[in-house]
Amino acid sequence: MLEIRNLHAALEGREILKGIDLSIRAGEVHAIMGPNGSGKSTLANVLAGRPGYEASAGEVLFDGQDLLALAAEERAREGLFLAFQYPVEIPGVNNLYFLKASINAIRKHRGQEELDALEFLERVQEKAGLVKMDEAFLKRPVNEGFSGGEKKRNEILQMAVLEPKFAVLDETDSGLDIDALKVVADGVNALRSPERGFLVITHYQRLLDYIVPDVVHVLVDGRIVRSGGPELAHELEAQGYTLYGREAGASRRAQA
Amino acid sequence: MGGVSTVNPVAVTAVTDPRAHWLAAATETAAGLPPELALPELRAAARTRFERLGLPSRTLEAWRTTDIAPLRGLEPRRAGTGRAPDAGWLAGLPAGPRVVLVDGRVHAIETGELPAGVSVLGFAEAARRLPQVLAALDTLPGLDAHAFAALNSALFEDGVLVHVAAGARLDALTLAHWSSGDGTAVHPRLLLVLEDGAGAGLLEWQGGQGTYLSTALTEVRLGRGAQLALSTVQDESAEAFQLGGLRAQLAADAKFSLRRWVGGGRIGRMDLALTLEGEGAAAELDGLVLAGGTQLLDHHLELRHAVARCTSRQTFRGVLAGKAKHVFDGLIRVDPDAQQTDAQQQCRNLLLSKQALTVAIPRLEILADDVKCAHGATVGALDEDALFYLRARGIGLAEASTLLVRAFAGEFLDALTDEAMRAALETRLDAWMEVAA
Ligand SMILES: Nc1ncnc2c1ncn2[C@@H]1O[C@H](COP(=O)(O)OP(=O)(O)OP(=O)(O)O)[C@@H](O)[C@H]1O
Ligand SMILES: [Mg+2]
Repeated sequence: MLEIRNLHAALEGREILKGIDLSIRAGEVHAIMGPNGSGKSTLANVLAGRPGYEASAGEVLFDGQDLLALAAEERAREGLFLAFQYPVEIPGVNNLYFLKASINAIRKHRGQEELDALEFLERVQEKAGLVKMDEAFLKRPVNEGFSGGEKKRNEILQMAVLEPKFAVLDETDSGLDIDALKVVADGVNALRSPERGFLVITHYQRLLDYIVPDVVHVLVDGRIVRSGGPELAHELEAQGYTLYGREAGASRRAQA
Repeated sequence: MGGVSTVNPVAVTAVTDPRAHWLAAATETAAGLPPELALPELRAAARTRFERLGLPSRTLEAWRTTDIAPLRGLEPRRAGTGRAPDAGWLAGLPAGPRVVLVDGRVHAIETGELPAGVSVLGFAEAARRLPQVLAALDTLPGLDAHAFAALNSALFEDGVLVHVAAGARLDALTLAHWSSGDGTAVHPRLLLVLEDGAGAGLLEWQGGQGTYLSTALTEVRLGRGAQLALSTVQDESAEAFQLGGLRAQLAADAKFSLRRWVGGGRIGRMDLALTLEGEGAAAELDGLVLAGGTQLLDHHLELRHAVARCTSRQTFRGVLAGKAKHVFDGLIRVDPDAQQTDAQQQCRNLLLSKQALTVAIPRLEILADDVKCAHGATVGALDEDALFYLRARGIGLAEASTLLVRAFAGEFLDALTDEAMRAALETRLDAWMEVAA
């Protein structure tokens, strides 16, 4: 469902992604682990179409379609979802209104009718219950004044409401307490289906106890240096990334 | 090159004094006036003032940022009588009691029965029924050096007096100005007088078609503890020059809240002069300016704290697209006796285009020592991260921009207590975004 071939990307003249190949089939969950600054978020941003994060070479096919040719909003409408490592605060834009604009933009693209106010509210309330989010958060401006954990829950709420075909989760587990971590995992597991795919970026093997991946990849310095089964995450947890040729000077252990 | 400069047209027009042609309508105007509005002393003083001031040029400090050169091409004519406002425009006005002015003359007073102590009168009738109140015209402080205020006083043909007697209340009244264009100069005039403890909520709506100059001048006098909430929607035609002014004088504990939505006109400048003259008086001024194309929209404000313990809050927001220019020039003057003054001024601008320009000139003149004065000005583009976040959820760029502009304008809109008006302005904002951004 997602085919990444020889993907390169440079930021401010420095090459960050140095040829990524990754193939994720419908129904699969892949995890990416890797040291700080190795390019994980860059990959997520290139996939989501963030301005400034254009690929310099390579291609990405999403259900056979040239993903990189689409604008960010078109990618989202086609069913791609990015849970942000740092969700953005948008003062003055109501969370509920935002969700509604989002869901209706996607429905319109699919040729579906807009949800009426009641259907929409029921759907959001159901999903808010699922991610154990207090409905008071729905009435507040998007992420404004939310704690780190609340922002991450809000990402999962959006994912649950939008029901994307493919979701990239960029460190959605970072900074979460153990209950919130389960909420995030439950949110993903509830959506897991033979039609959907996930790319889960994390520093912690712990998350992968809850969301058991099919494949784990190790990203170091813009390249996937190893891929394996869930056991690879345990190995990394024990040994870190020193095996993968990180120079001592550049070695920064993952931080919470 | 030499051949061209020999027929330099500037040299020709410079011979005639533009002051004369701006006042040319005066004789005709005077002939058509009812005797109550002849006001010979007021007119003569105003003419003298205008003749002394002339049309402002950019060499004047107060007009340095406002280039009114395009106005000089206008051969101002007096508007013919008996024109009707555009029916669609009229239909779009908020429901409820209202007064309609056309080209500065009272067209219709549709107030129904007014509460006891409230008078809403055309000037001619006001001169008969409340002459002592109407005598306040041109007596309030401020705008002495404003040529267009002088022009208005010299040439206004009519106007509306809203008088609220002590303790009385007028909840809602719309004052709608229509200008019929055709290269005319119109001089609408409002006098709003609230006696001690009176209250009023007024909405002023300015619109028109084609080319015209409006010098709309509003005077506000608030007695002790009086409260006036005035909202203005400046929605003049795209070719209009709106160069109006407002003077306000507040007695002790009076409260004046002014909310200005400004989106119309080729050039729109508002000169405001407020005097807080009694202890405990409070002024709250909010503006939302939407400027696109090559519009120049401007607020020049002088707010004087004359006595102790008064408060003032100014918050002006500009959203700028195209090659538009937004000027905010705000002077806060604190007199030596005005201790415990609390004055705040904010000007925030959102630029939707790199060619748009904003000029914010905050000025403080503080002669007392125990005061709290703060001012700030910000300019920024739409937040890139927020835009991407919205787009990453499927919301298109145009809609995402509109959402963020609405959020920026939100505090202004949310403070409007009239639901219908807020809804109307939200719709207008969205429509503006479709064209401007
Ligand atoms: N907008 C940008 N401009 C310039 N450099 C950038 C930009 N964004 C990221 N980088 C750089 O690219 C490199 C990869 O960053 P990226 O955020 O992809 O790392 P990461 O693997 O997600 O790290 P972390 O685990 O800390 O989240 C870093 O060196 C970072 O400083
Ligand atoms: Mg990252």
